[in-house]
Amino acid sequence: MSEHSGFRWARVWAVVWKDFLDLRKNRGLLWSMSALPAVLVVVPAGVVWAYVRKPDDPNLHLMALYYDSSVKSAEAVTFLIDKVLTDWFAVYLIMPVFVPILVSSHAIAGEKERRTLEPLLASPVTSLELMIGKSLASLVPALAICWVAFISLCLTVDVVAWPLGQGPLLPNGMWIFGVGVIAPLFAFFGNGVAVLISARVNDSRLAQQMAGLFVLPLVGLAGGQFGGFLKAGGAYYAGLGLFILLLDVVLMWATVRLFDRERLMSRWG
Amino acid sequence: MTRIRATGLKKTFGARTAVEGLTFEVQPGEVFGLLGPNGAGKTTTVRMLTGLLTPNAGTAEVCGVPLPLRDEGTLLRQRVGLLTEQPGLYDRLTARENLAFFSRLHELDTAKTSALAQRYLQRFDLAGREDEPVGAYSKGMRQKLAIVRTLIHQPQVIFLDEPTSGLDPESARKVRDVVAELAAEGRTLVLCSHNLAEVERLCTRVAVVKNTLRRVAGLKELRHEGLSLEVRVAGEASKLAPALQTLPFEAKPLVEGSMLKVMLVSEEHAPFVVSALVQNGARIYSVTRAARPLEEAYLELVREEA
Repeated sequence: MSEHSGFRWARVWAVVWKDFLDLRKNRGLLWSMSALPAVLVVVPAGVVWAYVRKPDDPNLHLMALYYDSSVKSAEAVTFLIDKVLTDWFAVYLIMPVFVPILVSSHAIAGEKERRTLEPLLASPVTSLELMIGKSLASLVPALAICWVAFISLCLTVDVVAWPLGQGPLLPNGMWIFGVGVIAPLFAFFGNGVAVLISARVNDSRLAQQMAGLFVLPLVGLAGGQFGGFLKAGGAYYAGLGLFILLLDVVLMWATVRLFDRERLMSRWG
Repeated sequence: MTRIRATGLKKTFGARTAVEGLTFEVQPGEVFGLLGPNGAGKTTTVRMLTGLLTPNAGTAEVCGVPLPLRDEGTLLRQRVGLLTEQPGLYDRLTARENLAFFSRLHELDTAKTSALAQRYLQRFDLAGREDEPVGAYSKGMRQKLAIVRTLIHQPQVIFLDEPTSGLDPESARKVRDVVAELAAEGRTLVLCSHNLAEVERLCTRVAVVKNTLRRVAGLKELRHEGLSLEVRVAGEASKLAPALQTLPFEAKPLVEGSMLKVMLVSEEHAPFVVSALVQNGARIYSVTRAARPLEEAYLELVREEA
């Protein structure tokens, strides 16, 4: 047997391999993970379909005027569709936060719950390798789900909006930037929060519930946008992404500092 | 070369001292027992020696790696194996996948590991069921698989916490055979157990711990300290037990039908015991000096005030 004392990607991939295998066999968790993207695709597509079905409905103009008094009657439907697709991105961001929370809580606090943590920590894997492995095992499926959901959203919205005759509505620049740059930052945030909380509690459900509270500000933002109090757009989401990037840096620093063998063992054992 | 050398190890959790004053050595090829009641600090001791917990005081060397660790302790964990009290297996994964995961963490050669794993699986009657999810295994099967996982990287030092817990007598015998073979190969085994009969069968030396180190001694030494006097009398021996309470020294009686076993701390007390029994009307057929059961020696040590 060869002895390796430094950082080893082989051990990181071993953790990722095991967690993927475990996730693939965990039907309950897979259902939980797929329910949210399904809702996030169906709801905006349904709203767009409702607008497209009666584009001349005078109520649409009234709704558009609530958000912007300069909107003309003929532009109301395109204005509202554009608004719902822009605002919906805040709701979509719940997904890259929430899915890593589901997976990481299960993967870290779940190890404690099932009493598998001690044999794992007694193996040669280092704390950093374990943290990176667990994070990758959570981030990769989270981002894959986000991108699959985004592609589904584009296809669904474009199909239902086609009768308006203006070509495909999605993907647009804001969504591509959002899904490609901002969503990974949010996923990193969700994962960091879940890793930190999971390292300190012994129950995966408690970890999920506690980490899940971090989704609430996004719900608040979306509420503010739909209520007309906040005006979302590319710059708005870029600012939000920058703020989350700062939080990610803080979380990464805290996670590397706090995710160590001694802390995990003594807080658990 | 000494495989484990602990000097004054101590671990505290906040204001509570889990264990302190641990000083002992274990050699290659030795099966060393770590005994103590629940909460005595055995698990904490093992966790310190496997680098999972950092001692607050004292030093140790395990497989040539000094403790407290100066790094992550990867080398130490490549050289030691730990069977935890709970098997700690991944229920949704099969036995083969569980073993593959730990082989990957140890970066082992897949072909060699598979052959070794298969040998152990066959030995422990798990062959043919290695592709079933571990969640479907019985308690005993899980324990046996956890033992295979502990041995898969052929560690120099193996810590076994209650290795035969939940096993049927036949499986327990197989585990004991494997332990003896590993020791014969020159590996060092540390056995944490409440099963004193098993300790007596396997270990040559033991450390008795109850938040502090009470004693490190060879089994023979422990059993021959103090004395068990076996007195066979006519009729029920239980009637004679009260006679021993009048003696000016401690003489703990244990009655088995017409046999009265009396635990003494000194051989000098034996004539007084016989005399007291005779004075109380005992008709004595025989008096034999026997080795003290390990249980007696153990209980005496853990009952002592630290």
